[in-house]
Amino acid sequence: MARRQRDVLSVEWVKLELLRTAYATRGGLFAGFDPRVVVGWYAVFAVAPWLTHNITVLAALFAVAAVAVALCRVGPLVLGLFAFGLVTETAYLFAVAWFFDGDLHTVAALVTLSLKLGVVALASMAAFVSLDPEKLSDALVSMKAPPLLSFGVSYGYRMLPIIMDEFHTIVDGHRLRSAPLERRGILAWRVPVHIGSTLVRSFYPMMLNTAKRTRTTVEALETRGFTFAGESAKGRDIRLAYLRLRMRDLALALVTVVLIAGAFIIGELAPVFARDF
Amino acid sequence: MDDVIAIDGLAFRYPGAAEPTLKGVDLRIRRGDFTAVIGGNGSGKTTLCKAFNGLVPHFWSGEFEGRVDVDGIDTLDATVAALSHRVGYVYQDFGNQLVRPSVRDDVAFGPVNFGLADHRERSEAAMRLLGIDHLAKRYVWELSGGQQHLTALAGVLAMDPAVIVVDEPVAELDPARAEETYRMLKRVNEERGTTIVVIEHHAEFIARYARSVVLMSDGRVRWHLPVREALARRAELAVHGIPAPQIIAAAAELTPGAPVPLTVAEAAQCIRDAGLAPGPRPPQPEAPAPGPVIARLTGVTHGYKDVRGKVSTVLDAVDLAFREGERIALVGSNGAGKSTLLRLLTGLNVPRKGTVEVDGTDTRTVKPARLADRVCYLYQHPEQMFLNDSVRQEIAMFPEQRRRPDAAAVVDDVLERLRLTDFADRDGRTLSGGQQRRTTLGIGLAMAPALLLLDEPTASLDTATRNDVIAMLAALAERIRCVVVATHDMQLVAEWATRVLVLGEARVLADTTPAGLFDDAALCERVNLVPPQINVLGRELGIHPPPLSVAEFTAAFAPALAGGR
Repeated sequence: MARRQRDVLSVEWVKLELLRTAYATRGGLFAGFDPRVVVGWYAVFAVAPWLTHNITVLAALFAVAAVAVALCRVGPLVLGLFAFGLVTETAYLFAVAWFFDGDLHTVAALVTLSLKLGVVALASMAAFVSLDPEKLSDALVSMKAPPLLSFGVSYGYRMLPIIMDEFHTIVDGHRLRSAPLERRGILAWRVPVHIGSTLVRSFYPMMLNTAKRTRTTVEALETRGFTFAGESAKGRDIRLAYLRLRMRDLALALVTVVLIAGAFIIGELAPVFARDF
Repeated sequence: MDDVIAIDGLAFRYPGAAEPTLKGVDLRIRRGDFTAVIGGNGSGKTTLCKAFNGLVPHFWSGEFEGRVDVDGIDTLDATVAALSHRVGYVYQDFGNQLVRPSVRDDVAFGPVNFGLADHRERSEAAMRLLGIDHLAKRYVWELSGGQQHLTALAGVLAMDPAVIVVDEPVAELDPARAEETYRMLKRVNEERGTTIVVIEHHAEFIARYARSVVLMSDGRVRWHLPVREALARRAELAVHGIPAPQIIAAAAELTPGAPVPLTVAEAAQCIRDAGLAPGPRPPQPEAPAPGPVIARLTGVTHGYKDVRGKVSTVLDAVDLAFREGERIALVGSNGAGKSTLLRLLTGLNVPRKGTVEVDGTDTRTVKPARLADRVCYLYQHPEQMFLNDSVRQEIAMFPEQRRRPDAAAVVDDVLERLRLTDFADRDGRTLSGGQQRRTTLGIGLAMAPALLLLDEPTASLDTATRNDVIAMLAALAERIRCVVVATHDMQLVAEWATRVLVLGEARVLADTTPAGLFDDAALCERVNLVPPQINVLGRELGIHPPPLSVAEFTAAFAPALAGGR
């Protein structure tokens, strides 16, 4: 089969997708809000599902989070991974329930858990896809997170393109220098084994190359006053001066409260509990 | 005298090191000076400069003796944070110095950390001074190397230090960008009176920008002299791996005893004043007839999608043939498609339109691993090629995995030829730059390809190592049928290549010889190429075609010298 240039499902594509996701280049619903409110919004959706066993409530929350994901323009890679997880999880549940002689009851109990995890996953996609790293780290600083954590978050984002580049280069190195497969084997079993072993062997050089680069970074941080800023509050105040709560932020908080309350009210009116089956 | 840096009897030993890195350094640098620190690899240049901002001994704790005063402060009593108001440091791998996602945020990082109320004005002023204010909102990973370097410099400048140290700006930048950095440093030096200290191997930049030169060797300062006096000591510089600029070498041969010229114009004047005129050049040897085609591109169009989803066209309907026996240099500014062209030839990428054939095989029909039997591609950064734990394993990887019958013998032979036998069992990442480059050449040699592709093989090497690599490339010719090098190094082009392809505007702008390229001033200007100084000097004095080396240059004056004296 002739090869051609692929713009999706290639290493290059994964790299670009991760960058788009991490740096919120697509814009989206939450990009214009105060990052603290967005983090708060996420916290509510991360906690609420665990307060109930009511499938109706969970389904309503799931729907709200799904709408938020749609409005936040989450990219195909992250969404695809999520959908893949959801579909395989569902298939797995039915298989397990059937294998262990379970009934609808068993399935419903397992579906509850899947829904909870689904809500949290959707909410985190929506929130973090629309926050660029600067805003996220500023929000953490303002909520009195330890400076090392907030810096770690922003530096982690800084490292992402570097790690991706190193990874891409090393995988290309393997593509060029290691021997190609002679036979694919039954059901092409050798292909995934080959890819898997390449990935494992790429890990050590990738981490080492990345780590070597960070030596300069650590020195630069020291000379640029990072340690100093940890001990003095002035820098923190300057950094956060731009964060202001505006009307639309309050509106977002209000809408969130109404939607959560709505979900619980619907659940009260038409409850579906796993244990009722 | 107002000395911004005063060092007395500085000695320093890194923890665990057998030998001290600095041994009794005495040095004075005057406020507002532009100083170049030179010396071979391992002479202690970088350690000395890290003593200025207190990283030695506060961050790198070791045995410290003597006294270092910077801007009136004893560094032993001050913290690194306090010193960072006085000394800024731009690293050789400056990309890793950028710690925040966007340019503006990174430039303001220092002032904000120190809680300076005027942080905004400081960072805006720094960006304006360096001409990068239009990049303020960009993410740092989107920037080109030159822009990243200026961002790192702006971050340092925003602290308004008394001294700025820049570690080898030319190593990771192409000459046109390095020139830009030097112009900016000159501007900072003149407008703000900031003392500039550069660690530099390239004597041409030193001649044109520095006012004084510090020679380090073996952990000591040999001397600190005004630039003209320093560059006049040609023999001593050459011993320390810093050959004098070509124009100084040429002037020394033609007009011995005259003052050392620092620019091409000065050199030309000096030679004219001596009453010397070039004779006609001897006829050039005929180029050998081209051999059979090794690789061919037909109507190749290629481009990439960027993070915002736009497809850029890097190559547009390119037709080319690479023939046996050719040494081809690919030149052009960054982003002109040099690396893309190399990747297409390896089969790592296949063109969006058109065909690439290597040794008669369409790259679309085979995997890159199969094509690697005939093509070898060596990356710009040797470290990125290291996939194994030792030099021997790196070189053996290809022939052994492909079960080539004579693998063991080939590996031993390659190690021997590239003088790597002594390091064969060490991890490639722990070697010096020159040794790493030799290792990657060894990887290429052991693959025994028909077509060898190299990306910037001489970047970030000191001059002595660089000449070594050029000599090795010449020696490869007997084993490999065609070599293609993508490079910014015009001296490499002049001394090594037989054919030059100039890429730009997604096309091949010119397909010529080194002499033909440097003879076309308009073309050089258009693609940001800086011809070797000797070539410019030759053109200035009316030598046609302009010479490619100092030897060719002085040969043109042989009749004048024979008749005149």
